[in-house]
Amino acid sequence: MPDTADILRLESLQVHFPIQRGLFDRVLGRPAGAVRAVDGIDLNIGRGEIVALVGESGSGKTTVGRVITKLAQPTGGRLLFEGRNMTAERGSSALRPYRHRVQMIFQDAYQALNPRHTVFDIVAEPLRSLRLVDNVTQLAERVSKALAAAGLNPAGDFFSRFPHELSGGQRQRVVIAGALAVKPELIIADEPVSMLDVSIRAQILQVLVDLRDKHNMALLFITHDLPLAWLIADRIAVLYLGKLVEIGSADEITFNPRHPYTVALRNATPQIGGNAGRAVLPALQGEVPSAARVPKGCRFHPRCPLTFDRCKKEEPPPIEVGPQHLSACWLAK
Amino acid sequence: MTNSSQDKAPLLDVNCLSVDYGLKGVSLRAIDRVSFALQAGEAVGLVGESGSGKTTTAMAIAGLLSPNARVSSGEVRYRGSRLPIDDDAAMRPHRWCETSVVFQGAMNALNPVHRIIKQIAEPCMLKLGMSRGEATARARELLGLVGIPTDRGSAYPHELSGGMRQRVMIAMALACRPSIVIGDEPTTALDVITQAQILKLLGELRSRLSLALILITHDLSVVAECCDRVMIMYAGRIVEDGTVAEIFAQPKHPYTRLLIESIPNPASGKKMIRPIPGDPPNLVNRPSGCAFHPRCPSAMGVCGTEVPSLDQFGRGRVACHLHRSSRGDKVAVHA
Amino acid sequence: MSESIVQYYPRSRTRAIKAFLGQFLGHGGARLGLLCLVFFVAVAAVPTFLVGPLQTAINATGDFLMPPSGEHLLGTDEVGRDVLNLVVHGARISLVIALLATVISLVVGTTIGMTAGYYGGRVDVWLMRLTDFFFVMPSFVLALVITPVVLEVMGRGGEILGFRPSLFVIIVVIGMTSWAFVARIVRSQTLSLKERTFIDRARVVGSSNSSIMVRHILPNLVPQIAANGALVVAGAIYVETSLSFLGLGDPLQPSWGTLLSLAQRAGAASAGAWWYLAAPGVCVLSVSLSFVLIGNALDDTFNPRRRVIP
Ligand SMILES: Nc1ncnc2c1ncn2[C@@H]1O[C@H](COP(=O)(O)OP(=O)(O)OP(=O)(O)O)[C@@H](O)[C@H]1O
Ligand SMILES: Nc1ncnc2c1ncn2[C@@H]1O[C@H](COP(=O)(O)OP(=O)(O)O)[C@@H](O)[C@H]1O
Ligand code: SF4
Ligand code: SF4
Ligand SMILES: [Mg+2]
Ligand SMILES: [Mg+2]
Repeated sequence: MPDTADILRLESLQVHFPIQRGLFDRVLGRPAGAVRAVDGIDLNIGRGEIVALVGESGSGKTTVGRVITKLAQPTGGRLLFEGRNMTAERGSSALRPYRHRVQMIFQDAYQALNPRHTVFDIVAEPLRSLRLVDNVTQLAERVSKALAAAGLNPAGDFFSRFPHELSGGQRQRVVIAGALAVKPELIIADEPVSMLDVSIRAQILQVLVDLRDKHNMALLFITHDLPLAWLIADRIAVLYLGKLVEIGSADEITFNPRHPYTVALRNATPQIGGNAGRAVLPALQGEVPSAARVPKGCRFHPRCPLTFDRCKKEEPPPIEVGPQHLSACWLAK
Repeated sequence: MTNSSQDKAPLLDVNCLSVDYGLKGVSLRAIDRVSFALQAGEAVGLVGESGSGKTTTAMAIAGLLSPNARVSSGEVRYRGSRLPIDDDAAMRPHRWCETSVVFQGAMNALNPVHRIIKQIAEPCMLKLGMSRGEATARARELLGLVGIPTDRGSAYPHELSGGMRQRVMIAMALACRPSIVIGDEPTTALDVITQAQILKLLGELRSRLSLALILITHDLSVVAECCDRVMIMYAGRIVEDGTVAEIFAQPKHPYTRLLIESIPNPASGKKMIRPIPGDPPNLVNRPSGCAFHPRCPSAMGVCGTEVPSLDQFGRGRVACHLHRSSRGDKVAVHA
Repeated sequence: MSESIVQYYPRSRTRAIKAFLGQFLGHGGARLGLLCLVFFVAVAAVPTFLVGPLQTAINATGDFLMPPSGEHLLGTDEVGRDVLNLVVHGARISLVIALLATVISLVVGTTIGMTAGYYGGRVDVWLMRLTDFFFVMPSFVLALVITPVVLEVMGRGGEILGFRPSLFVIIVVIGMTSWAFVARIVRSQTLSLKERTFIDRARVVGSSNSSIMVRHILPNLVPQIAANGALVVAGAIYVETSLSFLGLGDPLQPSWGTLLSLAQRAGAASAGAWWYLAAPGVCVLSVSLSFVLIGNALDDTFNPRRRVIP
């Protein structure tokens, strides 16, 4: 059972990107707008816990991951790692201890690998730049171990290969090996299998779950696939237009969703078991509104099949609907 | 004909089709003796992992093979007559008017500097010889058909979301009233909700316009939602073909079974990750015998040496030594 | 993309280089350019062996402005020097100037372009203003400004880094006026490279800015730098020619440009001494053309869109 002391905590995290105003707007003195990519998120991840972050494209999942890995700077809220405020920390040397413990797996493995570096260089890069090894023998040893842990055996065969000489699944494993090489305590995985074939997906998932089981590593698993989130995660957080609309245990969210958006997500997921137990609500119409124009009141109300007056005026707070299960909907009670 | 249980003459009949790609001196067999029939109004899923030959099959049928491709055996018949699939010019009257394609990743292929209505009207003018006014009217009608408000027609592609652009691509494919639409991974780049909307749209269009649909995907659950029949491809060959209900209830080929098991299914209640062992096949060095044998949990001695033929089995077809038809009627093997 | 095809791609660096050479030499233009270049480099390497020591007015071997003959294959100039002799000796000076100027231009251009593109913001704005300044600055003007300063400091007879001052000035001037072109190309390439996911990954694994620039961005710039480098050489030869033509060259170490200028001043065109103008002119044209051909072939080879396998 995972140890539940929180390793990471996000407190009302907010990322707004300024919109470039046109000349016209400036002349007319229109206020500069903002893309509210992440709009106040509270989330905690326990040690050795797997949390899935689920949402449509454009809902802000990647931005959350980029804030945690310090690739984007939040415009509000706090990022706490083991209780320490990391929000303002900057610069590659100041961040070194943090980088040592928090790593990321990218969505598109091919893009994430420098085409001119060999697999060895790629996996060795974090060890070199974080100064985790003293000599070449140690380096080679840790690179081999990381490759083996990511399921690339025999590791030596891959040392001198270039990314284009690997299959899609192997490339994703190289990215994973690079993240593992530093033995992090938290990994942010941004849609790590969405670019992969079904037949390879499960292999990568297995590697990730094994890491948690063997090294008590925590994982933030970003995906838009609800069944996949259910399969791998302990808890699922559902994101809509930059805000968490529901959060709870994987089983609760999958079998007992309390937010109309989560229900819609579940209904939209194609399933081989047929339509049993679905279509409780009509399918969602329209598209996610732009994050530059977040609707007033409940941000889901223009698409919600259950919307009523109050939804248009007041934004619902997260409401406790079960043990550890919150839903931001006026009807959740 | 390969599918003897069907008595109607098929709309499209692909017979023993093989396509090779020439590549710096080596030649690579992308699809190998693919045979199937498609009835009018039928929706067939073509499923397989990346590189298994799905797109090549589709492009061959539409006569859109790339210049380094060669049709090395077989033929494609449309309403009984042979299609000149390796002759680009001769295929021109057929393409778009009878068979049209929604390409993989095509929504990024829209011309960024033209309004979408113009891009939809273009094929109507070129193919059907319509005047500009007629073509624009037709384009409006098509926009309505795919669920885009007509006034959005003056938008540029970058002003539309991925789902809307995919709808535009579908509208363009429907412009000349084809009877077959091939969708090459039409929803792969989209998220679940948009995917559901597009699949629903394709289903509606299909019944409304009595289209035959070939849906290419690597996601079996997509096929489960909107196809009647599914064909599983592996390393350039069809390894199993049957109705959706039968294949999901009782997969016969071990690869199909493993594919289905690897889909997370909350309804089953079992949180289990079941990877398919091994790596995808290498087409240049294709494994001997059954191409799946290095990864197959049921592989036998004969699997490494003898290529299993795609035989009739029950109401479907399967190519596996575990399921040899008692009648043993093999598909004609081309030299 | 297909995994199976990818297997066919060469495994090791040496084989990658072989594949590259194979493709590069597949271009007819590249072969022609290389051939021509090898010829001129060979000539420039051993001029004395080929045509004897550089002729001056004192040891000139022929009559004034003689047309080509068995004795003087390319005729003679207005003081009786053998034009072939002058052109062969000029090759060395011209090539040295062009190559050294190119090195300066590539080093400066790459450093400034990469820094501006990578850091962006204010650094970018100021560096690009500097670049634009040099971009529009005519080399002739810069030469006019620098020459007196250098001559003042060094005197005509001195040597800077083994070069006579006027040569040194020409090298520096060409280097300084051609880097802006390189910087712009490098900057725009860097701007797109730095958005690539592998740069994000490098940051997440703790690499510093300098190591990201050196280890990730620079190697991916090599194709652009190489292809444009060849074009810079071609340009440098032209600029050298025109500077010398304007009288900024070194009369004691004649380059092709100096020869052209001498021929012009001696009234070769009006006197019908076409050989005097044509010999250095054809050399300038063929060398710069070879570099252009090589540059285009490099561009073609490196351009992933034109490759069979991306
Ligand atoms: N133009 C081409 N030149 C050479 N080989 C090709 C070409 N196009 C496809 N191939 C090869 O043919 C095989 C089948 O390719 P195809 O594109 O049909 O696969 P697919 O099933 O559609 O895969 P994906 O899901 O990645 O699109 C692959 O091995 C592929 O690399
Ligand atoms: N650098 C940026 N500048 C402006 N808007 C951005 C930027 N990055 C992301 N966004 C916007 O923020 C929202 C969330 O994006 P993202 O986190 O990438 O979503 P997801 O990962 O769920 O697809 C989107 O509306 C996107 O357009
Ligand atoms: S608060 Fe209202 S609009 Fe929002 S999800 Fe609940 S019912 Fe729908
Ligand atoms: S033929 Fe043999 S190896 Fe191939 S799928 Fe059947 S049992 Fe497995
Ligand atoms: Mg994303
Ligand atoms: Mg494809």
